[in-house]
Amino acid sequence: MDVFALGLDHVLTMSALGAIFIGTILGVAVGVLPGLGSVIGITMVLPFTYSMGQIPALALMLGIYCGSVYGGSISAIVINTPGTPQAAATALDGFPMAQRGDADLAIGWATAASVIGGLFSVVVLIIAAPQLAAFSLNFTSIEYFALGIFALICIANVSRGAMAKGLLAGAIGLFLATIGVDHVTGDMRFTFGSFEMTAGISLIPAIVGLFALSEVFMRASESATVKAQIAHNVGFRLPPFSQWMPRLWLLLKSCTIGSFVGTLPGTGAATAAFIAYSEAKRSAPNRDKLGTGEPDGLVAAESANNAVTGSAMVPTLALGIPGDPVTAVMLGTFIVHGITPGPRLFTENLDLVYAIFLILIGVNILMFFIGALGSQLFTRALRMPEPLLMTMVTVIAIVGAYGVRGNPLDLITAFLAGVGGFILRKAGFPLAPLVIGMVLSQMIENSLRQGLLLTRGSFLAFFERPIALTLFILTALMLAWPAIRWLRARRQEA
Amino acid sequence: MKFIRSSIVALAAAAGLASTALAAEFPAKPVTIIVPFSAGGGTDITTRTLAGPMAEALGVEIVVKNTAGAGGTIGAAETARSKPNGYTIGMMPVGPMTTQPHLRELPYNPESFDYICQAYSAPSSLVVRKDSPFNSLQDMLEHAKANPGTLNYGVQAVGSIPHVAGLGLAAASGAEFTFIPYKGSAPTFKAMLDGSVDMFVAHISFLTKNSDQVKSLAMLTSERVSTAQDLPTATDQGVPMHFPIWGGLVAPKGIPAEAKAALEAACEAGMNSEAFSSRMADLRMPLAFMGSADFEAFVNAEFSKNDKLLTAAGLKK
Repeated sequence: MDVFALGLDHVLTMSALGAIFIGTILGVAVGVLPGLGSVIGITMVLPFTYSMGQIPALALMLGIYCGSVYGGSISAIVINTPGTPQAAATALDGFPMAQRGDADLAIGWATAASVIGGLFSVVVLIIAAPQLAAFSLNFTSIEYFALGIFALICIANVSRGAMAKGLLAGAIGLFLATIGVDHVTGDMRFTFGSFEMTAGISLIPAIVGLFALSEVFMRASESATVKAQIAHNVGFRLPPFSQWMPRLWLLLKSCTIGSFVGTLPGTGAATAAFIAYSEAKRSAPNRDKLGTGEPDGLVAAESANNAVTGSAMVPTLALGIPGDPVTAVMLGTFIVHGITPGPRLFTENLDLVYAIFLILIGVNILMFFIGALGSQLFTRALRMPEPLLMTMVTVIAIVGAYGVRGNPLDLITAFLAGVGGFILRKAGFPLAPLVIGMVLSQMIENSLRQGLLLTRGSFLAFFERPIALTLFILTALMLAWPAIRWLRARRQEA
Repeated sequence: MKFIRSSIVALAAAAGLASTALAAEFPAKPVTIIVPFSAGGGTDITTRTLAGPMAEALGVEIVVKNTAGAGGTIGAAETARSKPNGYTIGMMPVGPMTTQPHLRELPYNPESFDYICQAYSAPSSLVVRKDSPFNSLQDMLEHAKANPGTLNYGVQAVGSIPHVAGLGLAAASGAEFTFIPYKGSAPTFKAMLDGSVDMFVAHISFLTKNSDQVKSLAMLTSERVSTAQDLPTATDQGVPMHFPIWGGLVAPKGIPAEAKAALEAACEAGMNSEAFSSRMADLRMPLAFMGSADFEAFVNAEFSKNDKLLTAAGLKK
C-alpha cells in the first residue's frame, strides 16, 4: 500500500495533472483531424518531454495516446472519415446514425464506450500485466498469421447485402498493401520501375483519400436540389441506462477482445475494432441492423479500440517490446527518463507502474468530459454550409496525407484514393473491406512467410500449434455460422 | 532617456552588423535536415538531439524533416536531389548509404553527396536470450557447425547492417544460419523472446536497455568499446568483424566550400555539447565525430565492404 501511496504522490502534482489535461486535449484534437494521428501527436511533444520530469512526461504522452484513439471516432461519426485508422470500424454505424440526425447520440455512445473500454483495459493492466506479457510470448509468427486470418472474416461481416463487391474490395485492399518493398526478400513489387512507388501505398493517405476526399466528390456530384436538409442535433447526448442493459454482454466481450489484442505487439487498435465488430455481427442483440446506424456497432468498435490503449502498455512495460509505433516512441522516452521497461520494472519501480495506472485512469475520465463539452463544437461543424465544410475537409485531408511521411507521392495517393473511393461508392462497393484488407495484408503475408521459414516450409506444422489451431477452428466456425443459424431456424420451423 | 537612446544605437549597430554578416556568410536562413525514417525512431531522436546545439553553433534555426519510406532510400534520394546550397542536408545512416544501393537500382550512390561529418556510430552486438545455453561466440559457432542451418538468425530488414553482419559471420566462420526477416527491431526482439529466433544483431543502446533479458555473445567491433570494456568482441574470439551502425550528415554534391566548413564545425560543436554528449552517454554510445574528408573515405570503404558481402550472399541485384 505504501508503494501505491507513493505512486499517487507522483501523480498528484500540479505538473503531472497539468500534463494529463493538456495531453488529453491535444490527443483528442490530433485524433479528430484526419491524417494526424497518435504518432504525429506524440512526436510533436517529444522535444518537450526531454526537459520535463519523469511523471509529467509520461502523463503527457499517455494523454495524447488515449485521447487520439478516441478522437478519431468523432470525425468518423461527423464527416464519415475516420480521424485515425483505428476508428475505421466506427464510421460503419456512427455515420449512418449522424445522417439520421443523431450525431449527438452517436458521439454519446462512442464516448461512453471508449471510456469504458479504456478503463477496462487499465484494470486488465493492473491485475495481470506480467502474466499477460508472458502469455503473449506464445504468439509467434504462426499465431499472428492465424489471428490475421481470423480478423479477415470481418470483411465478410461488413459486406452483407453486397457480398461479392465487399470481397472484391477486400481483395483490392490486400493487394494495395503489397505494393513496394517485399519485407521477406527485399525485392520491389508492382512499382513499374518507378522509384517513388517503392515507398508503397501508405495507409493514412489512402484512408484520407478513400473516405474524406471521396465524400467531398460525392457531395459535389449530387445536385443541390436533391440534397435533403437534415436537422442535426448538436451537442452531446448520453444514451439512457436502459439502452445499455441489453448491450452489457457485448460491451464486456468487446472490451475483452480489445484488451487481449492490445497485449500482442504489432497488432493494434484497428485490428481489435474489426474483430470486435465481427463478433458483434455474429452475436449482438441487433446484429441484423449493424451497418445502418446501430449502437451495437459503435459500442463494439469503440470499446475494443480504446481497450487496446491500456493493454498495449503490457508488453511495453513488462517486456520492453512496444506494441505499436506509438508505444515505441513512448518506450524511447522512458529510457531518456531513466526508466528501464522489462520484467524488473514491476519489482523495482512499482511506484512508477502504479503512477502509470493512475494516469491512465485520469486520462480516461477526463476524456469523457472533453467529449461531452467538445462535441458541441464538433457537431456544430455539421451545420456549417456544406461548401465550407467540404473545403475544410479537403484542406485538412491534404495536410494530413502529406504530414505523415513528408512524401509528395502520398498526396497523389490520397487524390487517387479519393477518385477510386468515389467510383467504388458510386458502383455500390463498401469501403470498409478495402481498409480492412490494407490494415491486415502485411501482417498476414509477413507472418505467413516468417512462419514458413520457421517450420522450414511446412504448412502442416501450423496446425500442430494449439493456439493457432484454435484460431483456425474459430475462423471456420465464424464462416459457417450463418449456415448453422439458417439450418437451426429451418429445423425449428419443421 | 540616455539609456534608451544608447540602447537604440546599439541595437541598430547590431542589426547592421547582422545584415552584413547575412549577405556574406553561410548560413543566412534556417537549415533543413532530412531524416529518412519516421519521427520518433532512433535516427530521428539522435538528429533532433543534435539539431538543438548545432543550431546554436550555426546561429540559425534547424528544421528536422522526416521523409520516410523504402528503407530510407526515399529520404536519401530527396537529399541528393536538393539544391546544393547547404540549406538542405540529410542525416544518412549506413543502410540507405551503403547497403541499399547494392540491393536495387536507386537514383543516387555515394558519389551523389558531399560529406559533412559522421554524427554517431553505435557498436553492434550479437545478442542471445539471457537464458540461452550459449555463452560465447565459440559456443554458438560450434553448435551451428555441428547442426547446419538449425539456428535461426533474426534480421530487422533484408540487407540491413544486422543482416550483412550475419552474412559476414557466416562467411568468416563457415557456419550456416537460417535468416528470418522481421519488420524492425521490436518484432525481431519479440521473436527472440518467444523462441522463434536464436539470435540477432543489435545496437549497443538496445543491449543497455534490455540487459535483463539479453546478453551479448560478441561485440561486432575491431577493438573493445570504450563504453563497454567488459564485453568481449568477435575479434577477441577469433572472428575479426567490424559492423558499426553509423550515420552522418551529408549534402547534395557541390555545396559551397564555406557552407560545408560551417556545417562541419557546427556538427562538431553540437556533438561536443552537453546536451548531445550526455544523451549519448546514457545510451552507452561513444562519441564518434569524423570530419568531412575522413567521413567520405569511411563511407566509400563501407560501400565496397558491404558490396562484397552482399554479392557473396547472392543478394546483390
